[in-house]
Amino acid sequence: MSTGSQENELDQLLGRIKSATAPLREIIRDLHSRYAGNMDGKVADYIPELSKADPKYFGITIVTADGQIFEFGDSSQTFTIQSISKPFVYGLALEDHGLENVLKKVGVEPTGEAFNSIVLDEVSNRPFNPMINSGAIAVADLILGKDYPERLNRVLAMFRRYTGRDNIFIDNSVFMSERMTGHRNRAIGNLMLNFGMVGSNIENSLELYFQQCSVLVNCRDLAVMGATLANGGRNPLTSEQAIEQRYVKYLLSVMLSCGMYDYAGEWAYRVGIPSKSGVSGGIVGVVPGQFGIGVYSPLLDAKGNSVRGIEVFRELSETYGLHVFEVGFGGTTLQSQTSLRGKSKPRH
Amino acid sequence: MAYSLNDYLWNKCRIEQAAFDVTSKCIGKISSDSDSPKLFLIPSSLKTGEIARILREGYDVARLNDGFQELIRQLRLDFLFIDTHPGVNEETLLSIAISDALILLVRPDQQDFQGTAVAVELARKLDVPELFVVVNKVPAGMDPTVLCMQVEALYSTEVLAVLPLSIEMARTGSGDIFCNRYPDHPLTHGLKSVVERLIDPMKSSI
Repeated sequence: MSTGSQENELDQLLGRIKSATAPLREIIRDLHSRYAGNMDGKVADYIPELSKADPKYFGITIVTADGQIFEFGDSSQTFTIQSISKPFVYGLALEDHGLENVLKKVGVEPTGEAFNSIVLDEVSNRPFNPMINSGAIAVADLILGKDYPERLNRVLAMFRRYTGRDNIFIDNSVFMSERMTGHRNRAIGNLMLNFGMVGSNIENSLELYFQQCSVLVNCRDLAVMGATLANGGRNPLTSEQAIEQRYVKYLLSVMLSCGMYDYAGEWAYRVGIPSKSGVSGGIVGVVPGQFGIGVYSPLLDAKGNSVRGIEVFRELSETYGLHVFEVGFGGTTLQSQTSLRGKSKPRH
Repeated sequence: MAYSLNDYLWNKCRIEQAAFDVTSKCIGKISSDSDSPKLFLIPSSLKTGEIARILREGYDVARLNDGFQELIRQLRLDFLFIDTHPGVNEETLLSIAISDALILLVRPDQQDFQGTAVAVELARKLDVPELFVVVNKVPAGMDPTVLCMQVEALYSTEVLAVLPLSIEMARTGSGDIFCNRYPDHPLTHGLKSVVERLIDPMKSSI
């Protein structure tokens, strides 16, 4: 074994120990204990598989841009990624076609409509943005590949790069249910076909969209994916480039303006962290240059966002100055809580 | 029911439920006023099955740390002493990482010196605020002053005490508290100087 890899092994071990002892772990534990009792909201039930989630599930994970992991609660509990997949597949489409070509097919304007609204921009006939179903379907249609299996494999490979795990799978029962009940999404797809926003292969693209929504992840995965974006597209655990650095800002922009369904405006105002929520109860947030944050709690509010997730993000943003437009913050930073020793020097 | 540290790690009890009050056995009878000093001990399990299970399954090091912090809060501890294995493993690294002061015990033995050098390096990487060495089991005939200087130069860290090899300690055989039985022994004086050095920075921080 080379000296370099020995050093790396040691650094990884010491990093794990430092994460276990850092004040940030206590912060997450405290957040968890205070919000775990909040049973407001309802588990999604539009397909039976989603309704099986235990309302008590609650996990919080924060991953730093240099790869430290802090987690508490049900951070290993798996769930289907659902709409959280949208910004990441959007990033793949940007890499495949470039910014201007993607913009011709999908806009980047927030809309106050529900995520599944069958509404297109009246002037351009484009879906408003890639974070709503119509936009995400149009984005799925843009993913390149010589055939459907290759397109699907490219999407799965992309998730592997972001999560740093090879064993990324699709929940087949959720996929089949989504496909069987996806009438509205088919309607959206056919409307866009009518206007030339998607190609004639829309049936395959809809399949791809249903599959991407059914990828199984956990709260830790979300935080690693967020940390990857926070780190300029490079996975801090594996050092693999998941997306070209130049496209990261476009993903974060649409996440900030459109990522939280029709709560996006108030989210950008109060919380100010580029984020994406999903109907399984996950939320991924990105603090550029610093952290990826993942929260999982399946109880949703009326707008389809995780109730506990919103509370956690609000408090983190407010207490530690994480709002992307925070200026002159004089309080304790979350970054300072990632090490037990902070900046104090040993006296030996 | 008597709990051990293993039971806490397996979520069978709260950490403070595994703490035994050994004040009267170690210090003697004192009043039961809640502000009186107390000494607690948390044992690891001595049952071979449970030892095997923890070795086989491992444990959540973050939970162990959570337990230490909770113990300090619940029992209002001034000091938490963590006695670890002599080698390097997860609990020794965790103990080093959370300690305000780390005392490394080393015998005047070449293998011990090499092993301690590894521990010193790890302690520095984990940014321990205060790092000390105590040289233990020094046989008669070795100059403690010279030995102290050599060890301080070797590790670039303060030697708190040079403790003699003691036949009385061997004869005590863990059957009693040595300092209570031999209050005037050079070993007892050496240990007291270690305690005074540890307490002193605590007093100045209050």
